[in-house]
Amino acid sequence: MSDDTDLHHPVDLAALADSARADPALFESRSVEPVFARRVLATPLHMNVAAESRTNLWTDWNGYTVAEVLSDIEDEYRVLRHAAALADISPLFKYRISGREAAAFLARFAAGDISALRVDGTLPVVFCEDRGFVVGDGLLFRLGDDEYRLVTEEPHLAWLLDSAIGFAVQVEDVSSTLAAISLQGPLSARILSAANFAGVETLAPHAARWFDVAAQPVYVSRTALSGDAGYELWVDPEDASHIWSLLLAHGAPFGLAATGFALREIARVEAGRARAGRDYFGAFSAVEPESASTPFELGLAGLVDLDRGHFTGRNALRAAKSAPLRHTFSMLAIDWPEPLSFIGIHAGADMAGVATSTAFSWSLGKNLALAMLKPEFLDKPRKLHIEAEMRHGFEVRRVIVPARLVSGPAPMGPKP
Amino acid sequence: MSLPEKNFDVIVIGGGHNGLVAAAYLAKAGRRVLLLEASDRLGGALATEDITPDYRISTGAQMIDMLPRRIEKDLKLAGHGLRYAARYVPTIALNPTNGHLVLSRRRRDIEVLRKKSARDADAYLAFSKRMKSYAALIAPFLDKAPFAPGQSAARSALRRLVWRGALLDAASREALLRDLPGSIGHMLDDAFETPILKGALAFDTLVGTAAGPYDAGTVLRGIYRKAQRLAGAGAWVPQGGLGAFVDALAAAAAGLGVTIEVSAPVARILVQGEAVVGVETAAGETFHAPQVLSSIHPRATLLDLLGANRLDAGLVARLSRIPTRGATAKLNLALSGLPTIQGLAPAEYGARLIVAPSLDDIQEAHAQAKRGTFASNPVMEVTFPSVADPTLAPVGHHVMSIAIQYVPYEAEGGWDDKRDRLIDRAVETLSIYAPDLKQRIVAGELLLPADLERKFGLAGGDWHQGELRPDRLLSFRPTPELAQYGTPVAGLFLCGAGSHPGGGVTGMAGRLAAEAALARRARA
Repeated sequence: MSDDTDLHHPVDLAALADSARADPALFESRSVEPVFARRVLATPLHMNVAAESRTNLWTDWNGYTVAEVLSDIEDEYRVLRHAAALADISPLFKYRISGREAAAFLARFAAGDISALRVDGTLPVVFCEDRGFVVGDGLLFRLGDDEYRLVTEEPHLAWLLDSAIGFAVQVEDVSSTLAAISLQGPLSARILSAANFAGVETLAPHAARWFDVAAQPVYVSRTALSGDAGYELWVDPEDASHIWSLLLAHGAPFGLAATGFALREIARVEAGRARAGRDYFGAFSAVEPESASTPFELGLAGLVDLDRGHFTGRNALRAAKSAPLRHTFSMLAIDWPEPLSFIGIHAGADMAGVATSTAFSWSLGKNLALAMLKPEFLDKPRKLHIEAEMRHGFEVRRVIVPARLVSGPAPMGPKP
Repeated sequence: MSLPEKNFDVIVIGGGHNGLVAAAYLAKAGRRVLLLEASDRLGGALATEDITPDYRISTGAQMIDMLPRRIEKDLKLAGHGLRYAARYVPTIALNPTNGHLVLSRRRRDIEVLRKKSARDADAYLAFSKRMKSYAALIAPFLDKAPFAPGQSAARSALRRLVWRGALLDAASREALLRDLPGSIGHMLDDAFETPILKGALAFDTLVGTAAGPYDAGTVLRGIYRKAQRLAGAGAWVPQGGLGAFVDALAAAAAGLGVTIEVSAPVARILVQGEAVVGVETAAGETFHAPQVLSSIHPRATLLDLLGANRLDAGLVARLSRIPTRGATAKLNLALSGLPTIQGLAPAEYGARLIVAPSLDDIQEAHAQAKRGTFASNPVMEVTFPSVADPTLAPVGHHVMSIAIQYVPYEAEGGWDDKRDRLIDRAVETLSIYAPDLKQRIVAGELLLPADLERKFGLAGGDWHQGELRPDRLLSFRPTPELAQYGTPVAGLFLCGAGSHPGGGVTGMAGRLAAEAALARRARA
C-alpha cells in the first residue's frame, strides 16, 4: 500500500485503525535490517541458479540470496503441476544429531512418537518448550542407528544444545556443509531415472536412500515440503553444482525448469503448511506468550503424542489440550479469478483474524490464504470476508470478497 | 547394608543438616522415614574431626548463627545432647596497626570507635538500625515457602511488604530504593571512613560468595543474611564442635523413628509413570516410598539421580546454569599454645576475628580470584574454638580455624604447586597480628573449594548449592518452577540449601520442604 493510495483512500482510515489488529509491516517480506547488518550469503548453487534467471529477481531466505522468480511465476507454476520444478533449497537449516542416546534425546525433544522411525525413513516433527509453545517444526531423517538429521525452517541450534544437556549426544549445525535441491512435480521420478538414479522408482513415499550418480554420493528422499509428488536431494556443496546441471540436462526433454522461492511459497500455501517465522512465531521469537502457539493451535495435534514417555512441554500440553484454543491456524479459499493482496479476515464488522500467507492457485483458480483466526469464528460459522484493493489504471478500488474455510490441504495433483 | 524393611513413607537423600531436619520433622508427623547418606558419616560440611590426633576442630562450618530457635525446640536438641560452649560470640575487626574494633552497638565498643572517628560512631548506629529495618522487611519471607508466581497469596504478601515498607519513614524509603540494587562497597564508602570497619562489614556480607565488594546486588545479600541472622539466636558454638550438633540432630531424628543408613549412596530415583516410587542405591538395593526428599544439589538430584529425559529441556538448561562455585577455603591449624595477638584482650580470643583491613584488600583478593589466583594478603575469618571448648585440644594447646575468602575453585595452572604458597600467605598475613603464630603450629590442613567438594559432597565447594544472588532468591530459587520444593515428578521434593532460603546452618530448607511434602500428602 503506497502513500498515494492512502491519500485517496475511500474509507476513513482513522475509524479503520480502531478495528485493525494486524500491522501490515509485519507481513512484508522486505528485510528491516539496516544495510550494514545484512548478511549476504550465497548458496553453493548460486551461480547455477543465476544462470537460469531471466528476471534478476532475488530475495532473502534465512540470510541467503535465493531467486524469487526465475522466469515467470505462472510458467513456473505450470512446470510444477505438469512437469517438474527444480529449486535450490540449501538455505534450510540442517542439524546432525548423533551419539549413543540420539534416539532418547529426540524422544524427549520432539512432541511426537519417533520410535517408529527406521533407518532411511523420514518423519515430520514439531518441538515445544517447557510451556508447551511450539519452538519450531521440521523433518527428521534417520541416517543410521544412532544418526539423525533434522531439517528446519529456522535456526534452532541453541535450543538443540540446551536440550542435549544430560544426553550422550552430539548436535552439529551442518547447514553450510550440505546443499539441498528439491525436484517437485509429476515427472520428477522419470527425470531422476533418466539422470541415472538407478531404481529411484522403488523409493517409497517418505523414504530416503543413498544413490551413486556419476561417482558422487547423493542422499535422495521422497519428500516434499508441499506433500506433493517430489524428491529432495542432499549433497555435498562441491557436488551440488554438478548434480544440478545433470538434472537440468536430463530433465529438459521432460519440461523441467528451475524455479524460485515464490513458487515454493505458493506450493506451501496450497498444501496448507505453516512456515515458522511467517505463519507462526517460534516460542523464543514471540515477545509475548499470546503470540506463541501450541501445536493444537497450529493444527499440528497429529504430531503430538501425550501418552508416551516424557518430552519437553508434555505437562503443559496436557493442560493445554483441554483448555480453549486462543487462535487457530486455518486455510481459507477466496473465489476471485486473479491474485489479490490482503491481510485482514473479517466477519461483519469484526476482525476474525489475519492472513499470514496468501497465494493464487492457478490450478484452482482461487486465492488461498493461511490465516490465524480467533476460534469463536470457527465454532459458530459466520460469513467471513476479506477486503482487498484492486488497481485499475490510476484507480484503486476496495473489493469485499467472501472467504470460506477449507479443511485440509487443497487437493493438488497426485499424492506421493 | 541390608535393611529388612524396604517400604517407607518417605525417603530422604543426603544426611546433611537439612536432610536430617527434614527427616526429623517428617517422622515427627508420623511418617516412616528412611534417610540415606552417601558418605560414612552424617552432617555434610558440619563435622568435628582430627587435624592430627588429639586436636579436634569443626573442619567445615564453624558456628551456628542462623538456626531458628524453633527448630531447636521442635526437635528437642538439648534433650539429645546439644550443649553450647559459647553463646553470642562477638565479632572483632583486627587492625594491623593498633586498636581492634568490636562490632557491636554496646556503648563501650562504640566509644572505642568514637576515638577513631566520631563520624563513624554515629554512622555505625544509624547503619545498624537501617540494615535491621531492611532485614525486618525480608524476615517474614524466610520462614515460609516462597510463593508461586500468580498465586493470590503472593499478591497479598507483596502488598504486606509494601505496607511494611510504608512504615519506614520517607528518608528510609528513599535510602532503601537507593541501596537495594547497589553494592555493599559503595554503601559502606558512603557511610563510613574507617577502613577496618568498612572491611569487616563488607567481609561479613560477602563471606561464602564469589561476589566482590563492588558487585551490584551485594547490599541485598547483606540484608538477606541479616534477616537470616534475626531468625537465629546469635552466633553460638556447640560444645564439641559442629559434629556434636549433628550428633544431637541425628539422635533426635533417630529418637523420632527415622531409619538412618550411612555409606548408602543413592544411584537412581525410581519413577513409575509420572510419580516417584523409591530409590535404588549404588549397591543395587531398592527402597520404596511414595515421597522422596533430596537434600543434595538440585542439579545432582534432578540430572544425575532422576535423569534429564524425565524433565523439560528448558528446566534442565536452567538447572545446569545454576552458578555453583565456592570461593572459600578452610585452613585448620593445631597449635602448641595460643598465639599472642597484639592489642587483643584475653577475653576476646574466643571471638570471631575478621582480617580484612580495608575494602581495597577485599577488592584485590576478589580480583585475584577472578584471575585464577589468590591475594598476597588474603582476607580471612579466624576463630580459636578451643578457647571456649578446651576439650578440642590437649591442655594448653589450641586449634585455630581460618576461613580464607576468595580462593578460586580452579587455579591458573592447577593447585598442586600453589597449596603451600596459599598456606604461607595466610600464615604470613596472620603473623602481622600474631607474630608468634608460626612457631606454635603443630599441624594443619588446607581445604580448598575442591577439597570441600570431595570431603563433604559440596558441589563446587559451595555450601549454598547455588550462589545467593538476587535473581536466585525466594521464588527464583533454585529455579522458578522448583521454588515450592516440589518438582515436576510427583512425590519428589528438594530439601537442601539449593532451595529457599539457601545455605548456612539454618535447617530451614529441610523444615519447609518437609512441610511442603506433608501438605502434598495430606491433599492426596
